Amino acid sequence: MTLTPTTDGPLEGVRVVDLTTGLGAYTGRLLSDLGAEVIRVEPCGGAPERNHAPRTDDGISFSFAFTEAGKQSLIADSSDGGNAAQLEHLLDTAQMLLTSEGPGLLRAKDLHPEDVTNRHAGLVHVSISPFGLTGPYADRPASDLTLLAAGGLLGLAGDPDREPLRAWGNQTSVIAGVHAATAALIALLSLESTGRGQVVDLSVQESVAHSLENAAQYLDLEGVVRKRVGAGPAEAGTGLFQCADGWVYLVGGLGGRPLAWQSIIDWLTGQGIDEAETLGADKWQERTWRRSREGSSTFRVIFEKFARTRTKQELYESGQGRGISVAPVATPEDLINDPQLVARDFFRNIDVGGNQLRFPGPPYRFANSHVGPRSGPPSLGSIGAPEAGAAAGPGYERTPA
Amino acid sequence: MSTELPLEGIRVADFTWVGAGPFLTKPLADHGADVIKIESRTRTDPIRSMAPFRDGQAGINRSGYFANRNSSKRSICLDLKHPEGNRLALELIAQCDVVANNYTPGTMERLGLGYDTVRRVRPDIIYLDMPMQGNSGPHRDYRGYGLTIAAAGGLFGLSGYPDRLPVGTGTNYPDHVPNPLHGAIAVLAALRNRRRTGRGEHIELAQLESTVNAIGPALLAASAGQQTERAANDDPVAAPHGVYRCAGDDKWCAVAVFTDAQWRSLGSVLGAPEWTSRADLASAKDRRNARRALDVLINSATQTWDADRLAAALTKEGVPASAVLDADALLNQDPQLRARNHWVRLDHPVMGPSIYDGIPYGHSRTPGRLRGPAPLLGADTRDVCLELLGMDPETFDSLNQQGVVG
Repeated sequence: MTLTPTTDGPLEGVRVVDLTTGLGAYTGRLLSDLGAEVIRVEPCGGAPERNHAPRTDDGISFSFAFTEAGKQSLIADSSDGGNAAQLEHLLDTAQMLLTSEGPGLLRAKDLHPEDVTNRHAGLVHVSISPFGLTGPYADRPASDLTLLAAGGLLGLAGDPDREPLRAWGNQTSVIAGVHAATAALIALLSLESTGRGQVVDLSVQESVAHSLENAAQYLDLEGVVRKRVGAGPAEAGTGLFQCADGWVYLVGGLGGRPLAWQSIIDWLTGQGIDEAETLGADKWQERTWRRSREGSSTFRVIFEKFARTRTKQELYESGQGRGISVAPVATPEDLINDPQLVARDFFRNIDVGGNQLRFPGPPYRFANSHVGPRSGPPSLGSIGAPEAGAAAGPGYERTPA
Repeated sequence: MSTELPLEGIRVADFTWVGAGPFLTKPLADHGADVIKIESRTRTDPIRSMAPFRDGQAGINRSGYFANRNSSKRSICLDLKHPEGNRLALELIAQCDVVANNYTPGTMERLGLGYDTVRRVRPDIIYLDMPMQGNSGPHRDYRGYGLTIAAAGGLFGLSGYPDRLPVGTGTNYPDHVPNPLHGAIAVLAALRNRRRTGRGEHIELAQLESTVNAIGPALLAASAGQQTERAANDDPVAAPHGVYRCAGDDKWCAVAVFTDAQWRSLGSVLGAPEWTSRADLASAKDRRNARRALDVLINSATQTWDADRLAAALTKEGVPASAVLDADALLNQDPQLRARNHWVRLDHPVMGPSIYDGIPYGHSRTPGRLRGPAPLLGADTRDVCLELLGMDPETFDSLNQQGVVG
């Protein structure tokens, strides 16, 4: 990392118009982090997501603050003819449009991607929608939970004796966002070499179905339908273990084979857990014993005798110091204070409605360019609308690539 | 309409292996980049030995776990510890636009392939490191897998029933969603910037930092002093909101009610309009407060319904709903995925016709496609050495006999 970073982001000069709902909102955040100018278009009363719980004491939604960081806000209501003309004018100056509703709702707003890209030949319309723009379910109403179900991820999560379980937060926004930003950048490279825009038709259901690890292949190759299995594979040495202030996740075996087994034995015996010497018996090298209920529970009793007297952080540092793959089951508070993240200056203090919040830094660091959230979510109408029919005004000086 | 793929002309020296890295280079390969996997014959990619296997028989060219994330790529085998193997790797890199690896910190440097060395042979290279914790910091040498990153990154601990231990997503989520795709975004943005400025880029994607972004709002809440707890299938806005038992063995339907209109529709579809006239359930706030009791009511009404029929009836009336689909439903039954031809069957030389995940998006003008099945170990070594590196066949045979290439 010897090069000097500049203040430019790698997407400097790219203008993105963001008309997404919460489902698509992370896409524009990723592009903004990389230096694109992302303009969130909102109705007069503001996007409803601004107020979604949980909120700051001042009523600003945490998820809105996270996905809208670095964007600008422009008030324009597509149901108002004058505003619709302004939006068309804005799209003429932009390289990308992001939406996240199904084809019927888009058509009702005169924003169906086919029509939009006919009107604006140099625009990439990234259409994120629950089921894609075509097919029998294209206009079905959907939410984070129902899309996790329709894409198959929900069915893999949870305890077998309970209902399938939602991953925390709006993970479909993350899943859709990372695929949509990838697709958007592929289209941008093409736009900037040919001058021609296009439609990207992203299905969130398919994006979720792309996250199933090996479940499709298990059925295809071995005829096995994977089911939910609780916290993970049942194997001695692997899984969640109780400690003094929560849990750690230990990987002491994978695929029926022990990992760093002697190190684990030494770790425990060194702390005075004499029973750990029994883990040296031959059966602990055998797949069938390691995967048996008795094997798992015998290990658990021995390990937790030690772990219950130590904190997550102590176990993390002392175990990793011995080459053992152990990690804390971190809470958000743990992460804010995580020694590694703090040492690497990961968090950025950013003003949100007068409060300093600690934003996670970007997912990646560039040696050569400025990347990451630059400001908090925009106040409603942070930039003014260009006058209808007028030449591009301040803030609108860019021309299409 | 052009049939040229949008990333044609981009070449990637792909040193990634196991889970997250190969899913980063896959979208590049499926959109036309020439992705050359550099593998080892003696230390093969562990995921080549992970189930599922064709017909359940293990083998380095039989894993579906490996195959699915390596479509459209080429594979060469080089002994990077041999001076000649190392020289060939640098020669190859000199003809590449992108180098990607997810080894532990310092590995590429020890192999003589670190960024500073590579930059000398290819000054505008886009070079991506993907360490677990980062290339610096007190935990830089810590080790882990998808599940330990999910635990350390916070998503695992937040996902679960409040009255039980956390359960996470049931998958190695960081390996399949945030880490590879954040990586692909970074590489594509750097390619765009290089075209504009002529400058290369050194990207460091610490998998912990990438994964933490998947729970970004919870970190903001924590920094404002608010705790976030496991909430099973509850939603902060919608209620009722849950996964309800339907007729049959382990059949479920997910339902989300955000508005009063959806609430009335739910009651009418389930044949229980009396709920919707109850004054104590009139507002979203009332329903959220009564959500546990509502879950019981709804479960008693849904258990005789077929999950797909219930989802169809509810969505027709504007209520978000879906049956909980398993792999069989996704591959063999779902009319939507079928209409969109989501799954792709590719004929693999050892595995035969096999299912690959499709690309979850389509470009109208420059669509990507899975151009070929996963490569056999070292399948392209000879082609790459002779055609790309200009090696003569005699030299290749000699190096092959020494085990340097092959």
